Amino acid sequence: MTKRSLFLFLFFSFLVGGAAVWLRAQDNQANIRVKVELVQLNVAVMDHKGGYITGLNPSDFVVLEDGIRQKIATFGEGNEATRTLIEGPEEGKSKSADEGAAPPASDGASGLRSAMMGANVFVLFDTSNYMYHGFVFAQDAIADFVRSLEGPDRIAFYSYSRDLSRASILSPDRSQVLRGVRSTVAGDDAALYNALLLTVKDAGQISGRKVVVVFSNGPDNSSMVPPEDVAELAQSKGIPIYMISTREAKLEPVSATVFERMAAATGGEAYFAKTWRDQQKAFAAIRNDLAHLYTISYYPQPNPNRGWRAITVKIPGERGKSVRIRTRDGYRPLPTMAPSPERAAQEGGLQ
Amino acid sequence: MKSPRCLLFAGFFFWFVFQTAIAQNAPVVAQSEVAGTAQTAAPATSASGDEATIPGPLRSFLRMAGISQKATLQEVLPLLARNVVIDGYHGPQDRPGRPTEYLILLMRYVQQARELQALAGPEGEIRVGNCEQAAPLLAVLGYRFRQECAKDPSLEAANSERAFLTIDSGFPLSELEESLRSAKIFKYPFPATKVPVIFTQNEWAANDKNAATGRNADVVDLLLRNRNLARLYWGISRIDAETANDLRQSPGLGKLLPYAPALDFYGSQICIRSGKVLVPGGPAAESAWKELVGASPESSAEFVTALLAKDAGWAATYFDTLSRVSHARQAYFADPHRLQVFYRALRGKDLSPGPTRPVFRPAPGLLLLATNLQLDPDGQPHVPGSLAVWKDIIHRKGESKIVGEWTARAKGWKNPEQLVEALVAFSRVGDEQSPLQVYLVLSEMDRVRPPEQRLSPQTVTLLAEKFPRFSNQYLFFSEFHDLNNDSITAFLKLADELDHIHNTALRANAVGLFQANTSLWQILARQGQIPSAELNPSWQAAIHPFAGITSSEQLFDAGRSSLREMYTAVTGKREFSQDDLVELLAGPGQVSADGRRVRQELATRIRAVLTGQRLASLDTLFALGDGMNQMANGQPLANVLLPLASDLKEFELPRTLFTAGERTEWAPGMPANPHTALQARTDLTKIIKSSPSPKELMEARGLLTPFLRDTLVGLNYAYYEPPGAQMLHNNPVFVRSHDFSGQMTAGGEQSWQIASLFGSGSPAAGGAHLAGSLADLPFVLARVEQDFIVPENVQALIWPQVVPSLMTGAVLPRWWRVTRNELHAVTLYQRTGEELLAAAAENEKLRPLVMDILSDRMFPQGSEYVERSLAADNLPQVLAAVTPGQTFYLAAEFRRRFPDQNDYWRAAGRELDDLSRRYPSETSWERLSEDFGVPHPAMEGNYSRALLDVKPFPAFMGYASRLLAESWDSNNLYWARLADEKGYSPVMLNLLVPELTRRMIEKIFASHFEDWPALLNAMRETGEEFRQGKIASLRPMGPG
Repeated sequence: MTKRSLFLFLFFSFLVGGAAVWLRAQDNQANIRVKVELVQLNVAVMDHKGGYITGLNPSDFVVLEDGIRQKIATFGEGNEATRTLIEGPEEGKSKSADEGAAPPASDGASGLRSAMMGANVFVLFDTSNYMYHGFVFAQDAIADFVRSLEGPDRIAFYSYSRDLSRASILSPDRSQVLRGVRSTVAGDDAALYNALLLTVKDAGQISGRKVVVVFSNGPDNSSMVPPEDVAELAQSKGIPIYMISTREAKLEPVSATVFERMAAATGGEAYFAKTWRDQQKAFAAIRNDLAHLYTISYYPQPNPNRGWRAITVKIPGERGKSVRIRTRDGYRPLPTMAPSPERAAQEGGLQ
Repeated sequence: MKSPRCLLFAGFFFWFVFQTAIAQNAPVVAQSEVAGTAQTAAPATSASGDEATIPGPLRSFLRMAGISQKATLQEVLPLLARNVVIDGYHGPQDRPGRPTEYLILLMRYVQQARELQALAGPEGEIRVGNCEQAAPLLAVLGYRFRQECAKDPSLEAANSERAFLTIDSGFPLSELEESLRSAKIFKYPFPATKVPVIFTQNEWAANDKNAATGRNADVVDLLLRNRNLARLYWGISRIDAETANDLRQSPGLGKLLPYAPALDFYGSQICIRSGKVLVPGGPAAESAWKELVGASPESSAEFVTALLAKDAGWAATYFDTLSRVSHARQAYFADPHRLQVFYRALRGKDLSPGPTRPVFRPAPGLLLLATNLQLDPDGQPHVPGSLAVWKDIIHRKGESKIVGEWTARAKGWKNPEQLVEALVAFSRVGDEQSPLQVYLVLSEMDRVRPPEQRLSPQTVTLLAEKFPRFSNQYLFFSEFHDLNNDSITAFLKLADELDHIHNTALRANAVGLFQANTSLWQILARQGQIPSAELNPSWQAAIHPFAGITSSEQLFDAGRSSLREMYTAVTGKREFSQDDLVELLAGPGQVSADGRRVRQELATRIRAVLTGQRLASLDTLFALGDGMNQMANGQPLANVLLPLASDLKEFELPRTLFTAGERTEWAPGMPANPHTALQARTDLTKIIKSSPSPKELMEARGLLTPFLRDTLVGLNYAYYEPPGAQMLHNNPVFVRSHDFSGQMTAGGEQSWQIASLFGSGSPAAGGAHLAGSLADLPFVLARVEQDFIVPENVQALIWPQVVPSLMTGAVLPRWWRVTRNELHAVTLYQRTGEELLAAAAENEKLRPLVMDILSDRMFPQGSEYVERSLAADNLPQVLAAVTPGQTFYLAAEFRRRFPDQNDYWRAAGRELDDLSRRYPSETSWERLSEDFGVPHPAMEGNYSRALLDVKPFPAFMGYASRLLAESWDSNNLYWARLADEKGYSPVMLNLLVPELTRRMIEKIFASHFEDWPALLNAMRETGEEFRQGKIASLRPMGPG
C-alpha cells in the first residue's frame, strides 16, 4: 500500500458513522478540509395570515445553495414518514476526483432512514436566578409541553444556570422526562449560550430531525461563547432553535434581539410570553410548527466555497408570491483537518 | 452546591466564601472519606449521643440547605451552620443582618416539612390513594389539579411560594401524578432524620437567650436563627475531639461565643492534649508563647481564651499560621526571640483592619512567607542579591503606610532576620506589589541556583524595579534556574524596549509575538527538547531578533527568525513546516508504538484548535513573505502567490447578530477588536494583482504580521487546551481577540500581566476574550473553559476556586520521560504508605512514628481521627481517609527518617526497597516529585512540578483562593497508580490524566470549595470507573 493510499484508507476510516461528504481543500499543503453532511432543512410554509400550507410536493420547492440549485434527496411533511428521492452520493456520482469528494463511509441510507424518524426535541430550561419568580409556573408549562408531544418524538430535557445539567437524556419515555423537569433546582448565574452550545452539540450528534426549544428569562451574565457561534453551529448542523422568553421583549432588548435573530437564522421562532398562559400558547405554537414542517434534505452540489453558504428555499411561480417560507438562511461547512499523508504514514499512529 | 441561596449570592459571593476544613463527628464515622484529607475529624459528639431532628427526608433538607447529597450525617449540622454563617445574612459578619433569601427559604422549608410530617403520621409515610385524598397534601405542597382529577391528574402550581419549596426540595410530584393517573396508591416515605449534635442541644440552647431548653431545645432552629452561635458551632466542628471537649469544659461555650469569628478562622490548629495546648515550636517555645499570649499553654482554657482575644485576633492569626508549617520551619519562627520580634512586627501599631472582620481571611503573605522562607546553610534567611539591595527596594516601595514605617529602620539593618521581620510586617499589606511579594518571587527564582548562578545584586535591583510591570513574566526564571543573569537582563531590556514602541498596533503585535515565542520556548524547554547547555544561548537567540523593531515587516521577520532559532536549538535544522513545529510541541520524538500514537494524538489536537480558530498556516505566511520579497526583487511570482493570498482572505468573522450601533449600546466598553477587523479587511490578492511597487510589496509583507502573531499565540492556546474545551473549538475569534494592546481592556493596558477575562456574560460583546499576557495561560484558559464541564450530580457546581488549578495540574505536566520503573515506584510508594498504616494499626510502637510524619500533612482533627482509627484497628476507615498524597509522603518520609527500619515492610515495601536499590534515580523523591507533582504558580510563583510537604492551605481573598487548590497534589499520583495497575505505558499518562481529571471534575459534589473529602470521593469514583472500563472516552485505548 502506498503512503498515499494508506492515508486515504485511514482518512476514510474516520468517517465511519455519518452520512457525510468530504470536500478536499484546494491545495495539497493545507490539510484543512470542510465537512459537508447531508444538509437537512426544516421548512415552514405559511400563507399571509400565518396559516400553514400543507400538501406540497418536492417538485413545488426549489432549493438553492449559493445560488446553485440542489437536488432534493429526501422529503417529508410533519410527522409523516420521509420519502427518499435520490440515493446518497456513494451510490451516486459525486466522487469525481477533481472535486476531491469522498463518500461517506457508512451508508448514506442510514442518514436517510434516520430522517424518517420522529423529531428529537431538546428542551433547555433556564433555572438561573433570573427565573426565580416564575420558576414553578415555567416548570408547569414545560411539563404540559412534554405531555402534549405526540408520536414518535423523543425528548431530552436539560437545564442550565452557570453550568448545564442533563436532567433527562434523549428518550421517548415521557415519565422520565417529566421527572427530569421536576428535579430541577433554581439558582446561580446564567450562562445561556454556553448551555445552548452544548445542547446543540448534543443534538448535532443525533441523526434525524432535531430541534432545540429554549425556555428562558433571557439575560445571560456568564457565558463565554457568544450567541453568534451558537447560531452558526446550529445552522451548520441544521437544528432550528425555538426560543421562549418569559419576559417582555422590550424589557431586555439585548436578549430579545438575540432570541429573534437566532431563531430566524436557524429556522426556528421566538416567542415572548410573560404569562403562564402565553407560555403555554408558545409551546402549542412550537408543537404545531413541528407537526407542519416540511423536511427537505440534499447533498450539496460541488461548491468551492469553504466559507458561509447561503440557502434559499423558494416555491416558484405565482403560488410562491403569496407564501412566507421559514428555514435556516445558510450554514458554514464545519472545518476539519487531517494529518498529511506523509505524517500519518511516518507515525503509523492510526491503526 | 447550587442552592436557593445562590439566588442572592451567586457568582461573586462564592469567590470569596471561605472556610477551612470540613467537619465530621468522630467516634462513629460512617463514611470515612469524610475524614479524608487531613482537615477533618470529629468534634466531640456528646457522650449521651444527643441527636437533632431534621424534618422530612434528609435529601430534601440537604437540597434546601445547599449541602452535598454525599455529606455524612455527622457533617449535616456543621455544614448547615457554615451555610447560615456564610450565606444566611446580609451585611458584615460581626453585625446583625437581615436574612437572605437562602435563609428565608430554608426556614420556610423546615416549616413545610413539619407540616408534611404531620400528614405522614407516626408511620412516617405519606399515602394518597385517590384524588380526594390528595387534597390536603396538595394544599401543603401548593399545587392543584389542572382540571378535574378523574380526567387528568396533572398538577399545576397554585401557591407559588409553597410550590417553589416543593420543587426545590425535590418532592416527587411526577410520581404523585403518575400514581393518580394509574389509580395506584402513592407512597412516599417522609421520615424525620436524626443527625448527631456536637455536645448537646441544651448546651447550645443555653447560649441563646431566645431558645427553649430541656426537651424543646432544637439545635436546627437555633442554628437557623442565631448567626453567632452558628459560627461557633462551625468553628468547634473543625477542632479535634479532645480539644473540643476540653474547651467545652472550660472556658465553655458561653465564654467562647464572643470569639466565634477568631475560632472560626484561626481555631482549627489549636490542639489540646492532656489539658495542655500544643504550641508551634513545641515545648521549647512554650515559655515564649506564654509571654506572647499572657497565659500558659499548661492552662488550656486561659491560653485559648487569651489567644483568641488578644489584639483583635492577630495573635490567633500568628498561632494558626505557624501551626500550619512544618516542624522544621516552626523551629525557626518559634525561636523565643524571633517569636516576639516577628509578632510585634505583625501586630504593628494599628490593629485595624482586624483579621477576623472580613467574610474571608485577609492576605496570605504571612503563611506564604512562613512556608517558603529559605534558609541558607548557616541558618540565616536567604536574601537574593544582598541586604543592601533590599534596603533600597524597601526605600523605593515605601508608599504604603506600613512599608513607609519601615523605611527608616531598614537603613540600619545588619542581618537578614531584620529583613524577615519587616517582611512579616508587610504581610498585612494586601498589595501584590509589596516588598514581601517581590521577596517571595525573587527568592523562588534564586532557589536551587548554584552559587555561581545566583541572582546578582544588579539583577535583583532590576527585577524589583520592573516588578510592577513584568512580575508575571518571572515565571520563566523561577521555572528555569539555568537562565542566568544575562538572560534575565536581556529579557527585561527587550520587554522594556517593546513596551516603548509608540504605534499601538505594532506594539501589540510585537508584544504578542515576543510572548508567544518565549512561551513556545518555555514549552520546548520544559519538555526537555532544548538541552540544558543550550538554554541560555537558545533563549537569547529567541529574544534577540525583537531588538530595534520599528515596522511591521521587520517584526514579521523577527518573529520568524526567533522561531527558527528555537527550532534549530531543538533539531539542529533551519527549515521547518507548521506540521514540524506542531509535532515538536506535541512532544519529543518517540520510539515506542504507544509513544508515537500519543504524540500523534496530541499533535492532532493542536491542529484541531488551529483549525477551529481558522488561523493562517505558518507555511502559507512564510511562503507569502518570501514570495513577496522575491517579487519586490523583480521575480514574476504573482500567479504563484495569489492562491496563497486567497487562503488568508478566507478568514471570515462569524456572522454577527448585532449591528454596530447595537453593539456599542449593549456592550459598552467592548469595542470591536481592531486587530481582528484589520485581518478581515486584509486582501493581499488585490495588492498582488495591482502590480505593486517594490516598496508597496515590502510594506504589504507587514500585513502578514498580525496573522503570524495569531498563529503563534494559537499554538500556545492549543498546547494548553483544557479537557472539555469548547471556546477553543467553537469561538473562531478567541485567539485573535487576545488583546495585547489594552484597546479592549476596561481596566487599562496590562500586556505583561496575567491575562484577565473580558466579555463573558455580555451577549453583544462577541464572546469572551483575554487581555493581558500569556503568562499563566494554562490557568487562565482553564478558567475560561471550566464551565463547559457538565456536573454529574444535580445541584453540583463547577467550583471556580478549585477546578482551574486541577485542570492546570493535568494539562501542563507531560510524562514523556517517565519510565516504567518510575511509574511503578509511584504505585509502590502509595502502597507502602498503606502498608505502614496497616502495620501501625497493629503496632503501638510504630503508630507515633507514623502519626508524627502524617501530622506534617494533616490538621489536628484529621490526625486525631486517623490515630483513633488506627488504635481501633479500623484500617479500612483509615485508608479511606488518607489521600494518595499523604500515603506517598508517609512512605517516602518514613524511609528517609528511618532507613534501617524495614521490619514493617510488607510486599510493596520490600518491592520498593528492591526497586530503589536497583534504580535509585528513578525512584527518588526528587525525581518523582518533579514528574508527578503539580505546578504552584500562585503558591510559589513557579511552574515547576513539585510535591510539597504542606498541609492543605485555607482560602484567602482574591488570587490567593488559588492557594488552596495548589495544595491538593493527589490527583497525578493517583492517576499514575491507576495507569500502572492497568498496565499502561507511562506515555499514556499524557492522554489519561486530562481525561480522568475532567471526569473527576464532573463528579465533584462539594458543599463548599474547601470540601476536600468531596475531591477525594470524586477522584476515587473516577478511578473505580476507570478500573471497570466505564469511561467511554478512554476505553478504546487500552493498555499499551
